[in-house]
Amino acid sequence: KSSRKFVPQRAAIKLTPSAVSKVKELLSENTTAIGLRVGVRTRGCSGLTYTLDYATEKKKMDEEVVQDGARVLIDSKAQLSLLGTEMDFVENKLGSEFIFHNPNVKGTCGCGESFHV
Amino acid sequence: STSFTSTRALNKRYGWVYSSFHRLQSSQTASSTQPITELSLSDSCVKRLLTVSETPDTMLRVMVEGGGCSGFQYKFSFDTTVNKDDKIFEREGARVVIDELSLSFLSGSTIDYHQEMIRSSFRVIGNPQMEMGCSCGASFSLK
Repeated sequence: KSSRKFVPQRAAIKLTPSAVSKVKELLSENTTAIGLRVGVRTRGCSGLTYTLDYATEKKKMDEEVVQDGARVLIDSKAQLSLLGTEMDFVENKLGSEFIFHNPNVKGTCGCGESFHV
Repeated sequence: STSFTSTRALNKRYGWVYSSFHRLQSSQTASSTQPITELSLSDSCVKRLLTVSETPDTMLRVMVEGGGCSGFQYKFSFDTTVNKDDKIFEREGARVVIDELSLSFLSGSTIDYHQEMIRSSFRVIGNPQMEMGCSCGASFSLK
């Protein structure tokens, strides 16, 4: 009798190497944080926008993603809209930004900050 | 009667204040039809520009283009060339360059460098010509 699950578990979101190093850098600056929390919030002309904060505790329904030592928690309300997203970090002289390549997005605002699923 | 004389005395003495005040007001209304060509640089903008400028002639170019969800949008880039219709605003060695047409859309504004965990970027704040903006701050509509 087998009680083991053979369903492969895939991480809810993936981080690019540049996102991993930036998340680690941010976490090294704040020792009280256990990870970064990714969420979504109603804002902008396309309905939703991503949020990013320090997380000091893992909530019951948070989905935890640990990749190469970078720990990201996904807010329970954001899990459905973020599933399969790749989190990237780009930086140039004009600024820096976390970019979410989200396969669930149906449309975005011109600036790319606001989206709907 | 004392109040009457004192009023007259005041009028005599301070009459020029009123007249100059009215002159100032009329000159302000006259100048409001022609745009005030001013642009400020915030502390964080100066700091960021001085950090990322590789050569002393590097400037932040601000442009206004049609586009975005509110009609117009701001564009930022780095430039080392100055064109004929350009204006340069400098503070503590940090320079912002803008063409006159774009300037007419955002004169009176402040160029800022805004830092957040999720993104850091240059932005335009306090644009007196703006009526409504997109939440990202990149797009706006005119009054």
